[in-house]
Amino acid sequence: MTEDDWGFDPAFARTLAPLLDALYTRWWRIRADGVEQVPATGPALIVANQAGGQPWDAAMVATALRRHDVRRDDPPRFMAPDGAFELPWASTAVRRLGGVPAAPGNAARLLAEGHVVMTFPEGGRGTGPGYARRYRLERLGHGGFVELALRSGAPIVPCALVAGGPGAVDRVLARVARLPRPPVPLPVLPAPARWRIAFGEPLHVAHHGPDAAEDRALVLELVDDVRARLQEKVYDSLVNRKGAL
Amino acid sequence: MAGRRVLITGVANPFGARLAHRLAADAGVARVVGVDTRPVDPELAERIDVLAADLRSAELPALVRAAAVDTVVHNDIVQFPEPGRPRASLHDINVIGTLQLLTICDGLASLRAIVVRGSAAIYGSEPAAPAFFTEDDADRFPLRTRFQRDIGELERLVGAFARRHPAVACTVLRLQPVVGRDFDTPVNRLLRAPVVPTVLGYDPRVQVLDADDAVGALRRAVLHPVRGPVNVAADGVVSLSRALRHARRPALPIAAPLWGPLVGTARRAAGQPVLPDEIARYLRFGRGVDTTRMRSELRYRPKHSTLEALARAAEANPR
Repeated sequence: MTEDDWGFDPAFARTLAPLLDALYTRWWRIRADGVEQVPATGPALIVANQAGGQPWDAAMVATALRRHDVRRDDPPRFMAPDGAFELPWASTAVRRLGGVPAAPGNAARLLAEGHVVMTFPEGGRGTGPGYARRYRLERLGHGGFVELALRSGAPIVPCALVAGGPGAVDRVLARVARLPRPPVPLPVLPAPARWRIAFGEPLHVAHHGPDAAEDRALVLELVDDVRARLQEKVYDSLVNRKGAL
Repeated sequence: MAGRRVLITGVANPFGARLAHRLAADAGVARVVGVDTRPVDPELAERIDVLAADLRSAELPALVRAAAVDTVVHNDIVQFPEPGRPRASLHDINVIGTLQLLTICDGLASLRAIVVRGSAAIYGSEPAAPAFFTEDDADRFPLRTRFQRDIGELERLVGAFARRHPAVACTVLRLQPVVGRDFDTPVNRLLRAPVVPTVLGYDPRVQVLDADDAVGALRRAVLHPVRGPVNVAADGVVSLSRALRHARRPALPIAAPLWGPLVGTARRAAGQPVLPDEIARYLRFGRGVDTTRMRSELRYRPKHSTLEALARAAEANPR
């Protein structure tokens, strides 16, 4: 199979698989729980927090699913951060791995086609908080992902990530060089702390109907619900991880 | 509508000429009137009525009224200089020409449909773009290049006309770059070059339209009028590298800051006009469009996919 209309290239993803596997098993020694929560067929929206910085978060969630044989024929697509498609090489690699620009319409279309879509609603803030707040989730955007789930009827699968110091390397580099933090995370490898990926139970919202996407109160309520589920999973994983190293 | 009477502007360009040929051969079309200041191929001139006039000329309104046309195909839209269409006149032709044409249409009681050969370049090529632009996305990004602004203005004029004349079905076909043997389009000129200059580190998703399908879509829109903008593109969006491999064209990657100057110099040395900015952006960021409306409302299906169209264009230009 060659690339599809989105520019996703399974052959390229297979080529990179050994490298990603090495990072997964040796560098971050990742354990993934609850991969079976991702539906085996049909659309689903994986909502994850940012922990290790992009593109590693998306790559490792995708690797976790691949290693557990979940959706092997249709790997998850992900919303790439703003600016990723302006960069040489990175733009090509992101596209071939299944990334799409985070433009409205893209995620909706992917879900309508029955794909699994990964989104990181914390956005750039996710890797930015102070060290003391590193395991506290940021605000999950303005709830665009909930509207998306309501309109498409896809279930929301929360995915909690625990990694070593979010964006730590970027921040240290920026502080040493006295530069502002780069808008796009540098493709430097985050520290080899142990990672945990925990998928939560899918949140089915289809029964609200697509028109419920206009209902701000419901949307905000669901956003809080997802944020609470994610935060709880993050704390659980922290306890289970038994130390960062 | 029996015995359609169709007016085609810019009938001397390849789109206009081929469309006129096909419509003249159609049993449902009683009369084809072509307007152009440039000489029309004599064989075609025998089959249709040619008005050798500028859209700005004073006698044209009376001539068009006398012909009692019910459909106007606005095909005289130019993306870059052609013989008889120098660079400095492009804006005048695209925007003022459209304005003049619509002024003529204002007083045309027999008019039922207007078909405009627009361009998907109106969406631009953007890194943060939707992977498939829908017809509603035209104002999502700023209009960055001269041609983009021209067609933006042109669509605004056509939209305003459509609101004033609800009885007239006005449509703008937004064509993705057209490739084909004797079609002078930006992507064709690049395909014909000894090496295709690409942007180092970028491998955009591209989507084109076969020249035959472009004419076919125009014809379909004439015979079955629709309203509003419609994207017209071949099936399949492919990465530029794959498209070039398939068309067996060698690529020459050039770093982005050097791309403009180097390609400009090479083209001047080869005696070719400078590439418009939107082509440079297209080769860097690409563009895909959603063709749902083309299928469901225009009910047109292109015969050739993006890869086939590119292969056909490359075959026709052996180098």
